[in-house]
Amino acid sequence: MARTGQVIRTTTPPQRGRRPGGGATAAARAALRAPFTRRARLELLFCLAAIPLGFCLFLVPYLIAGPALALALLAPRFDSTWVAAVATVPAVVLLVVLATRIARRLGAVHRRLAARLLGERVAAPPPRRRGRGLAGWLGAGLGDGPGWRAAAYQLLKLPLAVAEAYAAFLWVAGVANLSYPFWWGLFRNHPPGVTLDPVPAALPFPGRGFPVATFGGTFAALAVGAAMVLAAPWVTGAVVSADRRLLRRLLGPGALAQRVRDLEQTRALAVDDAAAKLRQVERDLHDGAQIRLATMAMQLGMAREKLDGEGDPLEVRQARELVDEAHRAAKDALAELRDLVRGIHPPVLDNGLADALATLAAGSGIPVELTCDLPRRPTPAIETIAYFCAAELLANAAKHSGASRVTVRAAERDGELWLAVGDDGAGGADPAGGSGLAGLAQRVRTVDGRLEIASPPGGPTMVTAVLPLRA
Amino acid sequence: MTPVADAPLRVVIAEDAALFREGLVRLLSERGHRVCAAVADGQALLDAVAAHRPDVAVVDVRMPPTRTDEGLRAALELRRDHPGTGVLVLSQYVETRYAARLLEGNAAGVGYLLKDRVADVAEFAEALARVAAGGTALDPEVVGQLLGASRNADDLAALTPREREVLALMGEGRSNAGIADALVVTTGVVEKHVASIFGKLRLPPAEGDNRRVLAVLRYLRS
Repeated sequence: MARTGQVIRTTTPPQRGRRPGGGATAAARAALRAPFTRRARLELLFCLAAIPLGFCLFLVPYLIAGPALALALLAPRFDSTWVAAVATVPAVVLLVVLATRIARRLGAVHRRLAARLLGERVAAPPPRRRGRGLAGWLGAGLGDGPGWRAAAYQLLKLPLAVAEAYAAFLWVAGVANLSYPFWWGLFRNHPPGVTLDPVPAALPFPGRGFPVATFGGTFAALAVGAAMVLAAPWVTGAVVSADRRLLRRLLGPGALAQRVRDLEQTRALAVDDAAAKLRQVERDLHDGAQIRLATMAMQLGMAREKLDGEGDPLEVRQARELVDEAHRAAKDALAELRDLVRGIHPPVLDNGLADALATLAAGSGIPVELTCDLPRRPTPAIETIAYFCAAELLANAAKHSGASRVTVRAAERDGELWLAVGDDGAGGADPAGGSGLAGLAQRVRTVDGRLEIASPPGGPTMVTAVLPLRA
Repeated sequence: MTPVADAPLRVVIAEDAALFREGLVRLLSERGHRVCAAVADGQALLDAVAAHRPDVAVVDVRMPPTRTDEGLRAALELRRDHPGTGVLVLSQYVETRYAARLLEGNAAGVGYLLKDRVADVAEFAEALARVAAGGTALDPEVVGQLLGASRNADDLAALTPREREVLALMGEGRSNAGIADALVVTTGVVEKHVASIFGKLRLPPAEGDNRRVLAVLRYLRS
């Protein structure tokens, strides 16, 4: 299952020894540089580590078969096959249950290795359930999905480890072949007339290799070695990438657990978002309308005191001034409350997203070209989120981009609501830059939506919020 | 009536909302008080009080930079370092816990009122004068909360409605004369009610308004 709602950014993984710029010379340079990259080194280390780890699987049958065999051998002493069965069956079951535990442990080692050497961070699967009693214990062991997936990985790792061992062989044997011309003179300076056996040099496939008998022959070894070393990073890369895929699939938390984790995260986001919003409303009321009303009450109180007097013209004038001020404060308080109400839920949203977006576009500082194609109305929560996304993105465009025009497009596509806000401004919008995009992405995530940002430096910027039609 | 009846006081105001701060300055100046300084945060308040040694400081609870209980902490510091300066804390909401912290051990020269109370100018001015003179002014809301939450509900039920009113006014820090004014009765009647309340609640007689406030509040909180 695809992970939902992440901020998707176009990131290309660092390429093997390649730098921007095309052409055959660039490709050749990249091929020559490939064996000397840090990535090649780490992948070789991973392959080397895979050899002992991959073959760990062989331990499991021995662990199972060994004690079972011992019990079977002991069985004749009990003089009954029935007793033998009673003795061996539980032992086998016990060891089958242990297999998932061992596989989990090995899986953890693989994950750590992949994280350390390949930068491939795979989340750990949820811990094993604890069963109560013998039946529960057995059930927890046999029904341990992640454990069995880890066991499957271990099983598939066996052929992979062979391939990884081959990749490591290419490196080691290739480097060895490269060295032939350098030491040949040191060891083969025999007197004339003495015939020595030829020295075998490795070929890029397992076997005997080819014999090298003369100094001239060492250059053949050198050439083969060079070819092997040049090919090695690509072979290693291919094998390791297959291993990565397997790792993610089998040693991760699994689709359901991943979904649970996603939901936990988005729920936490939603709760935080709601709390933050309430807090903001409290602040706005406390520092805005409430203080204006308190001031107004104070002014009216003062005015009343003055009017309670003997009708001194000066006091009456002062009272009138105070009433004027109170009147102004009341109007300000009303305006502030209206803004606040619109920030909580814009009343125009009740007429639908199209009307609300039109109102928003009309109030924008830069010209907005709005197209709306929504045959079905999304649920109110989705409409609200879409509206606030559009509001924030329009504000961003006005504030940061220096754009001269903005397009807002809302449409239903494949049963989802697509809201795209684009501008012809400076670009370079970055969720990490504190422009509110990270907050938007979080809010969109709370309903399993996602935010796609395309904003290369120099522009143009296009931010698309994709939301489900119903939350 | 021209409000110059109060003895002129020297006042420092700490309030971050400019509008309300200006209103307070005007209100107090018109009543003949002298506003030595009007500041917008806790540290400035402490500095102003140290510089001017006013009779009373009017302090908002929520001020920058934290906008939580900045003013309350400054008020507590003032209580400790300048016992001669009365502290009247103003807030848009009242917290019984804040009141308890302000009154800790000593009710002399401390007040805690809702900002709404400023609307009744005369009453507010009276509360300010009381605090400046070393008395107490506690918001009816706080006393009401304490009365509602009191565990001595049985004893309180034995009070007549009038006696409950008097008890609440005592808790707010009013003197017998002040209570008499508020209820439009004579001081003698109030004295009778007070004696009756102390008897019914089995409170030891307390001399002076401040000790009486503490006794009442301690009773309500116990």
